[in-house]
Amino acid sequence: MALHSAIKGKLISVIGDEDTCVGFLLGGVGEINKNRHPNFMVVDKNTAVSELEDCFKRFLKRDDIDIILINQNCAELIRHVIDAHTSPVPAVLEIPSKDHPYDASKDSILRRARGMFNPEDLVR
Amino acid sequence: MTAGTSEKEAAGQLLDNLYLDMFHLIEEHTQCRVNLERSNASGAILLARTRFQHGGSNSVSTAQIPTENSAEFNALCRVVDSEDGICVERQAVDKSKGYVEPLHWFSVLPPMSLRHAVSKFKDCIELVAESTNLQRQLGEALDWIAKLRQIALLN
Repeated sequence: MALHSAIKGKLISVIGDEDTCVGFLLGGVGEINKNRHPNFMVVDKNTAVSELEDCFKRFLKRDDIDIILINQNCAELIRHVIDAHTSPVPAVLEIPSKDHPYDASKDSILRRARGMFNPEDLVR
Repeated sequence: MTAGTSEKEAAGQLLDNLYLDMFHLIEEHTQCRVNLERSNASGAILLARTRFQHGGSNSVSTAQIPTENSAEFNALCRVVDSEDGICVERQAVDKSKGYVEPLHWFSVLPPMSLRHAVSKFKDCIELVAESTNLQRQLGEALDWIAKLRQIALLN
């Protein structure tokens, strides 16, 4: 069954807690491709950090994904991998979850912007 | 000498403009995330209400969503490139083409609260596209600032 042939546009993938995944899947972003690879991952308290990291790296490699949504508390666990990804595609968006409100000071892109105001650089 | 000074001035002017752009983009980006948080929280409350009405925490949970062993299906919404960055494009439900209705994973007759939750999460998806555009613009501005500062430091 070639359901995925000649589909215009790219996917939004989700890594997050139950409510985030269920919500965005209800919104219609979910897909399981012909290789049985979903574009979402539900993270719970039993999910290992390595599992989370592997999934994130897998999504980065997929060329049919344009946006990776990740709960900010999950992003904190793999911050080094997120900071290493500087390419605009796929875009990594850190989103708040039910239990963890959005904290702008933790967001990778805003931390990069803050780095532009390093006092040492301004003195030079 | 004069040409060198005017070049430096022009670079400084450009850097000022880029910094100004960056501030505007940071403001818009943060506002967009706040709106996203609000919409997401409203959706989560409606999911909780649906669970409460159904009398069980498993009525709307990951137990109902498809797994790797489920049949393949296509995403109803995808992002496409347009003139103003990316935008969300939706497909109509059509089982024969692999576009399934996600609501039916949870209930054949979905309650109103679940339908309202869906509309909140659809708003979230629109905000995600807007936020992505802003983030990309911000990233671009930061790249230019870094480049210009490096040139300024070398001279």
